[in-house]
Amino acid sequence: MLKSTVAPMLLTLHTKTKSNNFLTLKAATFCSTFPQNPPTVRRNASTNTLTIETLETPSYKLPPASAYVHLPFCRKRCHYCDFPIVALGSTSTETADDDPRISNYIHLLIREIEATQKTQIDQHPPLETVFFGGGTPSLVPPKLVAKVLETLRSKFGLSLDAEISMEMDPGTFDDKKLRDLIGLGVNRVSLGVQAFQEELLKVCGRAHGVQEVHEAIEIIGSCGVRNWSLDLISSLPNQTQEMWEETLRLTIEAQPNHVSVYDLQVEKDTKFGSLYTPGEFPLPSDTQSAKFYRMASRKLGEANYNHYEVSSYSKSGFECKHNYTYWINKPFYAFGLGSASYINGTRYSRPKKLKDYTNYVKNLEDGLIDCSQVDDEVNEGEMAMDIVMLSLRTSKGLEFKSFIEDFGSEIAVELCKVYEPYMKSGHVLFLDDQRREITEDEFSTLVLDDEKLENEIGFIRLSDPDGFLLSNELISLAFGVIDP
Amino acid sequence: MPYLSKASKAIHVVANRTYRIRPNHHYRLGLPYSGSNERGFCSNPRNSNRKDENSVIDLSQYPTDKIRNFSIIAHVDHGKSTLADRLLELTGTIKRGHGMPQYLDKLQVERERGITVKAQTATMFYNYNLKDSNTNYLLNLIDTPGHVDFSYEVSRSLAACQGALLVVDAAQGVQAQTVANFYLAFESNLAIIPVINKIDQPTADPDRVKEQLKSMFDLDPSDVLLTSAKTGQGLEHILPAVIERIPSPPGKSDSNLRMFLLDSYHDEYKGVICHVAIVDGSLRKGDKFSSVATGQSYEVMDVGIMHPELRSTGFLLTGQVGYVVSGMRSTKEARVGDTLFHSRTTVEPLPGFKPAKHMVFSGLYPADGSDFEALSNAIEKLTCNDASVSVARESSTALGLGFRCGFLGLLHMDVFHQRLEQEHGTHIISTVPTVPYIFEYSDGSKVEVQNPGAFTADPKIRILASWEPTVLATIIIPSEYVGAVINLCSERRGEQLEYSFIDSQRAFMKYRIPLREIVVDFYNELKSITSGYASFDYEDSEYVASDVVKLDILLNGQPVDAMATIVHKLKAQRVGRELVDKLKKYIDRQMFEITIQAAIGSKVIARETISAMRKNVLAKCYGGDVTRKKKLLEKQKEGKKRMKRVGSVDIPQEAFHAILKGFLNLDPRYSTRAGHGLTLNQSGIG
Repeated sequence: MLKSTVAPMLLTLHTKTKSNNFLTLKAATFCSTFPQNPPTVRRNASTNTLTIETLETPSYKLPPASAYVHLPFCRKRCHYCDFPIVALGSTSTETADDDPRISNYIHLLIREIEATQKTQIDQHPPLETVFFGGGTPSLVPPKLVAKVLETLRSKFGLSLDAEISMEMDPGTFDDKKLRDLIGLGVNRVSLGVQAFQEELLKVCGRAHGVQEVHEAIEIIGSCGVRNWSLDLISSLPNQTQEMWEETLRLTIEAQPNHVSVYDLQVEKDTKFGSLYTPGEFPLPSDTQSAKFYRMASRKLGEANYNHYEVSSYSKSGFECKHNYTYWINKPFYAFGLGSASYINGTRYSRPKKLKDYTNYVKNLEDGLIDCSQVDDEVNEGEMAMDIVMLSLRTSKGLEFKSFIEDFGSEIAVELCKVYEPYMKSGHVLFLDDQRREITEDEFSTLVLDDEKLENEIGFIRLSDPDGFLLSNELISLAFGVIDP
Repeated sequence: MPYLSKASKAIHVVANRTYRIRPNHHYRLGLPYSGSNERGFCSNPRNSNRKDENSVIDLSQYPTDKIRNFSIIAHVDHGKSTLADRLLELTGTIKRGHGMPQYLDKLQVERERGITVKAQTATMFYNYNLKDSNTNYLLNLIDTPGHVDFSYEVSRSLAACQGALLVVDAAQGVQAQTVANFYLAFESNLAIIPVINKIDQPTADPDRVKEQLKSMFDLDPSDVLLTSAKTGQGLEHILPAVIERIPSPPGKSDSNLRMFLLDSYHDEYKGVICHVAIVDGSLRKGDKFSSVATGQSYEVMDVGIMHPELRSTGFLLTGQVGYVVSGMRSTKEARVGDTLFHSRTTVEPLPGFKPAKHMVFSGLYPADGSDFEALSNAIEKLTCNDASVSVARESSTALGLGFRCGFLGLLHMDVFHQRLEQEHGTHIISTVPTVPYIFEYSDGSKVEVQNPGAFTADPKIRILASWEPTVLATIIIPSEYVGAVINLCSERRGEQLEYSFIDSQRAFMKYRIPLREIVVDFYNELKSITSGYASFDYEDSEYVASDVVKLDILLNGQPVDAMATIVHKLKAQRVGRELVDKLKKYIDRQMFEITIQAAIGSKVIARETISAMRKNVLAKCYGGDVTRKKKLLEKQKEGKKRMKRVGSVDIPQEAFHAILKGFLNLDPRYSTRAGHGLTLNQSGIG
């Protein structure tokens, strides 16, 4: 009986680890540290430019200081959404206090947190960031949120000045609820506005209207939340340039200190996926949506927001600390349905179906799963790709020196050379250690001498907005360097 | 210059009437041939046409007067292969209903396209009652390729025959290839047995075809056999006609050995197997023989007949046709048309030997640059079986390392491509084929240019003169299409040489056209303007002076060597425009604007731009998205890997294929079924 429930889980884990296709290479590299191995092994391994010494204390091996908590409940599913959510139905509003579906889930979630192995049992640093994502976390009664936070605190510790964010939707909270949440320690709100036009909200299948948006903004202001983000989607069906301008204007007027702008992604198994083709009417053309992106970058920039990541803007000092851990490849815990953790260099996704997730928690409690213990199977090529992919999304860019340290100068130099034409076209910027931009002329001298290149370059970043707009192209070029 | 003195095949153009038979020629039709060789071989006549599989075949029972060597010639799809199958069945060489149809076409490409590329031979035994006495005959069917690309091979195969069955479809009548084949046989002085086939068709009109044969070739209607290889009707008259009308081989059995090399192929276990015809003397296992062409010597390890597979006999005698295994390592040593003789004897070489002449050249590159070794191996293996391809290494900035290959013609090239893919699983990118031009430069040099890339880039050296190869094209069409075809030919720089009528409905035209113009999609065009009713054939002709230029394709100012072509000055504008438009369609938007230009020297004659890509960005990337996003980007990376890169422009493989495609669709030996208007496999070339 037990066996039959366990088997599929183990299978999942197994295939997961197998997906590291450089596994053998890495194994050889590790073997070479043992003296009984012939030196040829070591030579073979080192020709792959990735050496063991540089990975002695990589950031991914540190104990996580961040936790993502998935609260999957929504009133209904939005038409663009393919996230693992649980739709409660239209009757449920903020008075869903005693909805057993929510309390049962929270109970399960708490069990998961409690059953999770700490990576360092003796000295686990307290959590610095917690992020309640969803779903619509603001549908969960504060008293249940309190239990989750309490569990996290007793299990891992929670820093006094930890950033505790929660995604909230207009129309799902009132003044009292927000004050309760603030009382529990929630100190950052991510408000899912998406648009300021009734027709656009409708087309998205949002459960709120423009009126609720304004009310929500007011509540946030009256509760004194300083650190909050206003989240938008661009390139919605029938969205015009005038609408987008209006949206940006109203956003700036609402004075959030953080704005997220997502370019609509049409996912396959969504209502949008069945109705629309990207770039085709009623969706804006590629040219038009590129224009929207540029406009956001310009207008928000003019209003003193830093474009610190492809889709994120903030006033100085109000970058989302939690999200930043993703982009600098730091480890993080994740709890709840469909959530993905990154511990000891391993990404692990929990089941997306509630039933499977329930089994998963059981197995975790029985000690049958350890989603962090895959230490020596971490693959450096994969790691390098993760780091490039994530860091190039940020305005800080790729830290060149530490990239060389971790993955060798050969790849780093090659990357510069591949990016040379895109530096000239203005898509890629090379910066020195003081973040001064290296000119084209300077670069053409540097590129002749690998050693100079290694010394002079401090950062590689994509330009805003041209480079960001083509980040997929540019990042996949870098992938070609790392894994030819 | 050898190129300029390129021998044009004699065609029989008599003043204002084409295809009159030379007045002093007489056919040896129906003349009973009295064998000259009466040497007394031990005779033990067999009474059955069926051979026991295990029985020993004693070839000494077949002196030359009991041997007939013949070939079947026909326009594509007039029933040559089916007729061959029937004859093999009739003589018990293969069992009826066993084995695959088109028995002698062994290559996959031959079966798929219904064409013969390699020569094959089959020996049949036939008991025939002539003048009230039963006699066993040994009949050798020598199957030849039918296409102009292989006209040299055809002429060599025919040289080993004394007669040919000229097969004509009872409904379609005489077609372009019928004419060409007739003249090949005619030049070889073969006895010709006209066979009107497919008489079972509802639209068959044998009387009309007889008339055509009479008016075109002066063939007597009473000599014509009527058959249906499909139903078997009339087949019984064929082999008696072969025996009665075709002379026995004229060789001398008491002379020194002279044998004729028909073709060769490579066998994994036995090495090179040569098909040979013994002209004079005899050949036995253990004999040592030499090649006139290469001077190399070999020892006979195995000798026998094709019946229809290898059947060892220990020896081959005068007039007999079979195979020899001799430890030859590569088919490159086996030159078609070569004379082989006993070592340490002296013989007069048999006439007609020519080295392979390459008329079409193209660069072959691995589709995936890393597969160079695989391509190299595949080409080496394939040229083991097709020594007529010339191969030299070359490299391209766009495509990397590859090979410049020379082919006998376009079909030959196309077949080679197909065999590389089918038999060796390699994926290739081929550059646009080019014909060999001759340039005379101001520094006094005169060179044959087989690769547009080899066109001199030195601005100090001027071109004084240039020449291009031409072909003589034969076109037969229903008369209503004459106007359209004349337009097409003149647009292709053709020069009309002949224009007459075969009968009241069909016109016959002969043109000299630059080979280059045939290479570029001529045949498709001809098909479309004649609703598929044209039949077309051509043969190599001489070089003529021509004003040609090199047309470069540039992407963001960088020339793409693999896309350069040599074109006539008057055509440059149009070709340039077409290439630029095609590339615009196939090259995706990239991170910056791409200009595509066609240029002659520094003069741009066509230009297009592809605007820069607007966006390609993943909206968000949080913890849960990382794995998925990464997969997407890896996929994108793999896509880039398959691209060919010039400067910073990625060119998809499809762009190369698309450019080539405009140049192919080349198969000239094609015709639709007259009266049905059905389209055959467009590559159907017999």
